[in-house]
Amino acid sequence: MVHVDQAQSQPRTSGTGYRVTSLVERARDGDGSAFEELVDLFQEAIFRMVYYRTRSRMDAEDLTQEIFIRAFENLSKLRDLERFRTWLFRMAINRVRDFYRKKRVLGFFRTVEDDTDADLADVKIQDDPGALDHIIRQEFWQQVKSFSNMLSRLEREVFFLRFMDHLNIREIAQVMDKNESTVKTHLYRGLKKFKENSTLLQLLEE
Amino acid sequence: MTDQEDTHLDEDQLLQAVVDERDLPASVQDHLAACPLCRGEKERFEQSLARFGHVAERFTPAPGRRVKLPFSESTRRPSSWYWIWRGALAAGVAVAAVMILVYGSITVKTTRETTLASLTQEMWADDRLMTEISELSENALPVFCLDISGESDPGLNEEFIDFVVPSIEGEVVSRNRGGVSC
Repeated sequence: MVHVDQAQSQPRTSGTGYRVTSLVERARDGDGSAFEELVDLFQEAIFRMVYYRTRSRMDAEDLTQEIFIRAFENLSKLRDLERFRTWLFRMAINRVRDFYRKKRVLGFFRTVEDDTDADLADVKIQDDPGALDHIIRQEFWQQVKSFSNMLSRLEREVFFLRFMDHLNIREIAQVMDKNESTVKTHLYRGLKKFKENSTLLQLLEE
Repeated sequence: MTDQEDTHLDEDQLLQAVVDERDLPASVQDHLAACPLCRGEKERFEQSLARFGHVAERFTPAPGRRVKLPFSESTRRPSSWYWIWRGALAAGVAVAAVMILVYGSITVKTTRETTLASLTQEMWADDRLMTEISELSENALPVFCLDISGESDPGLNEEFIDFVVPSIEGEVVSRNRGGVSC
C-alpha cells in the first residue's frame, strides 16, 4: 500500500536531492553559479509560499529577494546540507512573520486601516485572463482568507505547508521546529475545519 | 472479520488516516485497506485537498523578476568559453586603445600646425590693417584728390602758398594800419 502522506508530500525537487546537496556544498565554498542554480530550483516555490501568506505579488517578490540574500549570507551556518529546502522554508516563514510584525506596527500609526486584500489588487495587475476567471480568483482567495481566519496560527501554518507548499510531516516539523506529533495534531485540527468549510469545498468542486 | 474490521471509519479516523495512516490502530488500517467505501471516502477528501493546492498554485502569479544576488562575477566559476571570450575581449580593447592613441597623436599634431598657420595669418592681417590706418591718418585724401589740392606737387612749398594766399592775421594788421592813415 502506498502511503499517501509520503507519496503526496515528496518534495518536487526530490529527484534532484543529491544535486541540491552538491550545489549547496559548492555554494558554501563560494561558488556563485551553484547558488544561482539553487535560486533557479527554489525561487518559484518560495515566491508561491510567500504569496499564499501575503497575497501581494510585489511583497512576495521583495520578500523572496530578501530570503535568498539572507540564505546566501547565512549559508555557512547550515550544518546539514540535505536540509537546505526546509532551512530555506524556515527562513521564509520567519521573514513573512517579520513582515507582518512590521506591518502591524506601521498600521498602528495609520489613521485608516490598511486591511485591503492585497491579492485583489494584484489580480488586476496580472494579464487579464477574462472577467470570469478574475471573479473566480477573487472568490477563491476570499474563501482561503475566511478559512485561514478560522485556524489558529500553528494550524494555519501546518495546513498551508502541507497542502499548499507540499512539504511532508517531517519537513514541516523541521521548518517549524516542532516534533512530528505536534505537527500531526495541528494538521488534524486544520483538516477538521477544512472539511467543515462547505463553501470552500463547494468552490473546489466547481 | 472482527467487529472492528466490519465497522467503517468514522470522521475522526478518516482525518487521522489523511494525516498519517500509520497512526491508526492495526485493525482500522486493515479495514481501510480492504473496504472500498472507506478507501473511496478517504481518496475523495485527499483529492479535494490536492485540488486546493493546485488551484492556489494556478491562481498565483509568476514572479515578475528574478532574484538578484549580491556576489560579483568573480565568484562564479567560469567555463572555458568564458575565458576565450574574455581573452578576445581584452585583445579587442587593446587594439582599440592603440588605434585611439595613434589617431589621437596624428590629430593633435595636425591641429597644432593648423593653429600656428592661422595665427601667423592673423598677425599679418593685423599688421597690414595697422599700416593702412597709419597712412590714412597722415593723409586721408585719396590719390586723385591730392593732384587737385596740389598736395602731390613738390614745387608748391609753404612760402609760395603764403604769397598766393596771405594769412588772415597779416591782412588784419595792414587794414589797421590803413585805417590810421585814412
